[in-house]
Amino acid sequence: MFALWIAKLLILLLRLRGKSATSLPGKVAMRLSPKLLARLCNSLERVVIVTGTNGKTTTVRLLAAMMREETPIITNAEGANLTQGILSALLAASNWRGRLASKTALFEVDEATLPNIASCMPVKLLVVTNVFRDQLDRYGEIDNTIDKIIAGAAFVRGTVLVNADDPLARHIGLRFAGASKTFGFSPEGASMTGFDGVRDGAFCLQCGAALEYDGYFYGQLGLYRCPQCDFSRPHPDFVGHYSQGLLQFHEVGTPDTSYRVPVRGLYNVDNLLAAVAAARVFGISSEAIRSGIDHFKSPIGRMQTFSTSPQSILNLIKNPAGCDSVLTAICADPAEKVVCVGINDQAADGRDVSWLWDANFEQLAEFGRVHRFVVSGDRALDMAVRFKYAGVPTASVDVVPDLEAALDAALSAAQSADGLSVYVLTTYTLIHKAAALLAERRVADVEIAYHRASVS
Amino acid sequence: MSKSLIIAHLFPELLNLYADKGNIQTLTQRLRWRGYSVEVRPVKATQSPELESYHLVLLGGGSDREQALVATELYKQRSEWRAAASSGLPILAVCGGYQLLGDFYQLPGGDKVQGLSILDMTTVPGEGRLIGNIAVESELCGSIVGFENHGGRTHHNHAPLGSVVSGYGNNGQDRQEGVHHWNIIGTYIHGPLLPKNPQLADFVLRSALTYADLPADLEPLDDRMELAAHQHEWARHTSKVQKTL
Repeated sequence: MFALWIAKLLILLLRLRGKSATSLPGKVAMRLSPKLLARLCNSLERVVIVTGTNGKTTTVRLLAAMMREETPIITNAEGANLTQGILSALLAASNWRGRLASKTALFEVDEATLPNIASCMPVKLLVVTNVFRDQLDRYGEIDNTIDKIIAGAAFVRGTVLVNADDPLARHIGLRFAGASKTFGFSPEGASMTGFDGVRDGAFCLQCGAALEYDGYFYGQLGLYRCPQCDFSRPHPDFVGHYSQGLLQFHEVGTPDTSYRVPVRGLYNVDNLLAAVAAARVFGISSEAIRSGIDHFKSPIGRMQTFSTSPQSILNLIKNPAGCDSVLTAICADPAEKVVCVGINDQAADGRDVSWLWDANFEQLAEFGRVHRFVVSGDRALDMAVRFKYAGVPTASVDVVPDLEAALDAALSAAQSADGLSVYVLTTYTLIHKAAALLAERRVADVEIAYHRASVS
Repeated sequence: MSKSLIIAHLFPELLNLYADKGNIQTLTQRLRWRGYSVEVRPVKATQSPELESYHLVLLGGGSDREQALVATELYKQRSEWRAAASSGLPILAVCGGYQLLGDFYQLPGGDKVQGLSILDMTTVPGEGRLIGNIAVESELCGSIVGFENHGGRTHHNHAPLGSVVSGYGNNGQDRQEGVHHWNIIGTYIHGPLLPKNPQLADFVLRSALTYADLPADLEPLDDRMELAAHQHEWARHTSKVQKTL
């Protein structure tokens, strides 16, 4: 009880000082009482966990909006997905006697933290969005990540829902002893082209052979099969098809439904599909799903749309893998556009900007249909040079180090070219400023064109 | 031009920690813009390098574990490497690849990894990593800017690539950075090295073209963007007025 009080006091103090209490109270409480997490979880009845490399935050936001239509839930703050973040969320939702405000919880959990968290709460549903190889786990550490998720899944007393299109997530589903379900895109959405070298590393986790593909969605996600054993992409239990701003949703044994897509980028449509499938497993009605989507607000800098004139879409970029997903989504928008990239090199951005050369800006130069480029931030010139060597003519690039001036330059270039969309990409220390500046430039009576075809 | 300049990119699957792609992109684009044809050959650790067919070799950096694997592979062919380097094969070695050119580099645990002994050079661990932006003055190409991130301290008995104006350099002590010997350039600078240092890129290209028996009088390119980026970083990290480029 002592640890609980100290932590509650800390939450109060942090909030009085205007600070967010998303992690520190949990950290302190863990020190004082390692069993507090398990004790607080005793009164939970149903927990949903979302894990995976990319898409956790957006999927949880979407699913939270849907679940809230039917019941109050406890959920962790954006990105606070380690043990202390989850404990902080529970502490904030508990009273001074340790009683929780709700018996239902939805958490985004880091892959490596999953066994620890899943072992102390009644997990009814575990969603695995995808498991990507990125820079760090190219040499075997990915196996570690998969082992952690499998170990965490062993504690699930309910369903494991995995992405059928991802061979690594599928492998996790197959290794789960209980009921597992899958979601995936319909095959007609697959293409035979792609720019993503990452998928070259996709090997069959059952037998080790290189996987063959009949089509790709993005990254290693696609219609895979192993030429050597019987491992292959299953027919998903929940099938999604994206078309003209709508997600057509098919579930065996029920009438087809469709949902408005409030996010951009194929990987985000995948996150919506994961959330809708999870909501269906959880028993949420399609009306509640629909109104949850209406109440959804996209997290900052994840294809966040602003009704500026013309409209702008803000994205956080911080590493080659995430940046490449954003670039792929921009290339999938068939319309001409203006692209504004802001790069800083402060501590929170990472002082070393060499990763810009590992990200695939060549695809933007080649397939992006970009009318004009604007580069900004402390490293605006580095970005200008990056674009030049990616094949962009220097005459198409404006160097405007000041962010506000850069955004205005991008918006006016887009305006004078018939109102093109402006994609804004920035590193961490510019993202909040960019969001604030774009919000100031909103035009109230312009409806956001969500329906604009953003993926093919 | 019928003959291609052949650039060997060694062990891309292991030595790829610091965006070597930027160096390759810079070299190949600057050749293509001038009408040369160029071929980049990725050489995997499972293949043995065919040193006689390359005009330029790029050696990048990797983690200690990967670098030790690379060292074992390279060591098998150390006499071929020494012969090729002493007869003028241009080599551009960055970070871990740079360390491998010496007699050994010692790991923080005390183990010594044998190098190629192409250079009279050793690397030992030191207290803390040397991380940050670096600015160097070089007789080869004026000035160089970039980023360094290394735990090893390197000492050698050759000419340096340049002298440190801001940052740490080879060992954080003697104000020297990198090495230039025969047609070998070794350096701790990535960031990557070449895009913002076009004069150095052209210096490397000239020695590769000469070695390949191709015309090496490089036409000047419009480098205003590269030089602006270069000067911006130079000004941010030094208070010194830059020599004319």
